[in-house]
Amino acid sequence: MSTLLEVSGVSVTFDGFRAINNLSIAIGEPELRAVIGPNGAGKTTFMDIVTGKTKPDEGKVLWGEKSTDLLKLSESDIAKIGIGRKFQKPTVFEEQSVRDNLAMALKNKRGPLSVLIWKAGAQDRARIEELAEEIGLTERLDHRAGDLSHGQKQWLEIGMLLAQDPRLLLVDEPAAGMTPAEREHTTDLLKRAAKTRAVMVIEHDMEFIRRLECRVTVLHEGSVLAEGSLDHVTKNQQVIDVYLGR
Amino acid sequence: MYIPRQTAAQTRRSFLRENPSVLWFMGLLGLFTLGVTILSEAFGIGVISTNLVKILGMTLCLCLIAIAMDVVWGYCGILSLGHFAFFGLGGYAIGMWLMYARTEIVIRDSLGRGTIPPTETEVSEAVAAQIFGVVGSSELPLIWSFAGSLPFQLAMVVLVPGLLALVFGWLAFRSRVTGVYLSILTQAMTLALSLYLFQNDTGLRGNNGLSGLQNIPGFLDVPQSIISVWFFWASSLALGAGYLLFAWLVSGKFGSVIRAIRDNEARVRFLGYNVEGYKLFVFTVTAIISGIAGALYYPQAGIINPAEIAPIASIYLAVWVAIGGRGRLYGAVIGAALVSLLSSWLTGGGAPNIDLGFFRIVWTDWWLVLLGLGFVLVTLFFPKGIGGLFDYLVRKS
Repeated sequence: MSTLLEVSGVSVTFDGFRAINNLSIAIGEPELRAVIGPNGAGKTTFMDIVTGKTKPDEGKVLWGEKSTDLLKLSESDIAKIGIGRKFQKPTVFEEQSVRDNLAMALKNKRGPLSVLIWKAGAQDRARIEELAEEIGLTERLDHRAGDLSHGQKQWLEIGMLLAQDPRLLLVDEPAAGMTPAEREHTTDLLKRAAKTRAVMVIEHDMEFIRRLECRVTVLHEGSVLAEGSLDHVTKNQQVIDVYLGR
Repeated sequence: MYIPRQTAAQTRRSFLRENPSVLWFMGLLGLFTLGVTILSEAFGIGVISTNLVKILGMTLCLCLIAIAMDVVWGYCGILSLGHFAFFGLGGYAIGMWLMYARTEIVIRDSLGRGTIPPTETEVSEAVAAQIFGVVGSSELPLIWSFAGSLPFQLAMVVLVPGLLALVFGWLAFRSRVTGVYLSILTQAMTLALSLYLFQNDTGLRGNNGLSGLQNIPGFLDVPQSIISVWFFWASSLALGAGYLLFAWLVSGKFGSVIRAIRDNEARVRFLGYNVEGYKLFVFTVTAIISGIAGALYYPQAGIINPAEIAPIASIYLAVWVAIGGRGRLYGAVIGAALVSLLSSWLTGGGAPNIDLGFFRIVWTDWWLVLLGLGFVLVTLFFPKGIGGLFDYLVRKS
């Protein structure tokens, strides 16, 4: 397992509020990692920084073997380099079919002209079918994405992430609003994905994280409070004080 | 809801089979063109006056800019309130040639009657004096250097709106200006351009604009009844070609991406698409088509002046598209044709005023009220516009 993403000494301030404070965190490839922390701990801001939505005041974000500086890249370039993101709220394109949603995410050329002349080849279609199978939406491929249930939208978004074939998946609260059965399916999806790539899951739900059986990083007030197995961090007195004890 | 058509990633079927509305549109446009030709004075039984042929031809040009507006707004979500600037620029570009070449012919004619043939300098000075006398100048401005060349001015029809859109769009989209702020910027652009052109020393005859554009150099002996039908055909052809181009543009994965940009541009960015590049592409292509529409419109109108590109014109354009139905090309055509024809009927004295005894409805005064009311009603009760009614028909059948 080699280091894929390395965030070091990153700080960001919004109107005097220090959302991220000298944060350092690294993830290898392949690895499954859970990130927990109370509200306002900076979990989402951390993802914003990695995906290029927010520029930090200081610190470094390095990527891959060549130690590419992600802070110099735009959101779309970061996505192209191999970082996929799933938002807290499911954000699929509701007016379009499940198939078109997946087709847009497929790893193909992204320029306007190549997209203009793109036609789904046999390989693309097979990949879409395969992904639909994986996320359990085969029956609904030609339906409006807006008509899916909440859980199905979450899966579609995970499917779109997988279609991008990223090396690192950032997943923000994937289990929010899901039924227990749906949660189980989601855990399986993430665990499978993490066999070949790095997956970072932000989650509140302890039961969900326990099922992921992975290393856990606890964030608090914008920096890392503890890191290790779930049992290890839940025994940490500081963690109990700020998060679990409440 | 099941989506049977218009999925980019589905099995390969022909473009027309996936988009039956395109075939319908082409058929109806062809029938309409044939009908008007048969009824025209020049080539048929003469039921439709030359003036009406011109109005119908101009309406087709307005339909063309309306579908461009629909692509940029209805599909890509950029509410541009400045597309008439591109329309006007296209008109000015072709107008310069029309005016210069015709004046040159007239001047050569009159100077040629003398015993000594005129020199080139004499001709060009006389043309300049003739065109710019009205703004108190007799020198040919620099931008008129190649006005005598039709290929050059035709290139300008495409290049000037295209370049303006490219530069403006690049600056605006790169700074991530979106939504209502972008609309205000585009309004400022068209207002600035119109104020600039109002000045006499701009080199485009200030508020006089360019006139006599209905006379086509080389065809000065051909009666207007025939020329009007020629331009009607050209407008119809341009609308048909533009419709095909845009229908193809929005049908595949490209259409999928720009609709996604409309609905959630941040998400598209995280999928790895360069959103700004797509917006710039759509903005520029639609600006070029608008310029072409303008270049066909003004020879039929006969005159272009800076008032044509006042901010209100572009707002009307958005109203047409909203009434006709955003996000469907035929909706934009319906909106533009219906509203602009109604407008010229009601404000051109075609509609009889209604005397209610206690009150007299004068349509020229009440038209704007009617339009505003129509806009509000459509927005409230038919958010999909008039074109949305076709959805019910399709679902029934």
